[in-house]
Amino acid sequence: MIATTSTATAAEWADAFARASDDDPEIQAHGKYFTCSYLLDMAERTFVVEVSRGRVVGVAVDPGPLEVAYQFALRASAETWRNFGVPVPAPMYHGIWSASFQRDLKLEGDILVLMQNLRCFTRQFELLRTVGVPV
Amino acid sequence: MSKISPVTGHYVDVDVDGLLYKVFYLENGNGQPLVCQHTAGCHNHQWRGLLSDEEITKDYRVIAYDLPRHGKSDPPENTQWWTEEYQLSADHYANFVVALVDALELENPIFMGSSFGGNIALQLALRRPDRFAGVIPVEGADHSPGFYLDWWQHPHANAAQVCASGVWDLMAPQSPDADRWKTWFYYSQGSEAFKGDLYFYSVDHDLRDKLGEIDGDQCPVVMLTGDYDYLTTPEDSARTAGQIKGGEFIEMKEIGHFPMSENHAVFRTYLLQALALLRMKAGAAATA
Repeated sequence: MIATTSTATAAEWADAFARASDDDPEIQAHGKYFTCSYLLDMAERTFVVEVSRGRVVGVAVDPGPLEVAYQFALRASAETWRNFGVPVPAPMYHGIWSASFQRDLKLEGDILVLMQNLRCFTRQFELLRTVGVPV
Repeated sequence: MSKISPVTGHYVDVDVDGLLYKVFYLENGNGQPLVCQHTAGCHNHQWRGLLSDEEITKDYRVIAYDLPRHGKSDPPENTQWWTEEYQLSADHYANFVVALVDALELENPIFMGSSFGGNIALQLALRRPDRFAGVIPVEGADHSPGFYLDWWQHPHANAAQVCASGVWDLMAPQSPDADRWKTWFYYSQGSEAFKGDLYFYSVDHDLRDKLGEIDGDQCPVVMLTGDYDYLTTPEDSARTAGQIKGGEFIEMKEIGHFPMSENHAVFRTYLLQALALLRMKAGAAATA
């Protein structure tokens, strides 16, 4: 996907991300209890992804301050997100652990929920390599 | 035609620091012993590619053991280990490896380990340069804080999945899916030992003011680290090797923290360079 900041493209990205997750064989094979909500803070845009029993049931685009609740958050510069969203990320942009240890990614909120869902979340995050990022 | 592998498994009794262990190891090949330590919370199948690598096993006796509490090596036979928290110390870890090579009656062994195995390789070079012909610390450094985390054993999360997916990003995206997933699978089996291993890796291991004491002439040190390793980066290993007398460092490209397990085909090209360097240094020492 070509990076852009238009609202239409952000909505298209949200649909593409949800579709990629719901069509992913690994998530569908192991996602029976994959249930959580999280914020993706890309500096220029924000999204709240809600997953229930392995299905993406909602992606809020640029929600207002109190509009959508979430359990944990991933915050980084737009540049870091652009580095996540390529087929083969460069070293230190190849995951949330590497980017939080060595780059500017911050993991915030209820990290226990992230850990409880880590297997499927890790796969879902890697879908950015094929879907791209909307910043 | 038989498809039985030439790799064989054995058990050996090891008595160290008052603890009795029945230690499992896999081996193949003939020549100078190359003793291989797996990473924290894992087991010797990480060395499966090396164990069946004909070019290396024709010149080296590759021995890949399971550290006690890992794989097929049980916790100690003579203590109520379940009544204590497992925290691996540098002293016990180093004493164990020396006791193991003694029990196997190995002469001039090379020691190679990855991650917490790379760190103990540095400890062995410091403590017992007389007992090893050389060490190859893989993904090792003088100090590696930050991974002694409660998440590995948190009772409210699935420890098997947290350990396995928690180390997923330590591997390079270029490494083959099948090998990365085997490594993931191994890590789903070792959560009870993983955190205690990391006590050594991130807490008890600290050689920042001791690297200058390593006798790199008697026990040459050749370090290998992958560019996708975020825990022990190439910069960390280069800094470490630079402070060791005669220390060498080779950066490995497009590979991560579990090189022998995630991509043996790439790792072996660097390992062959490291082994050649050790042969060269041994030859130079013999003629000096």
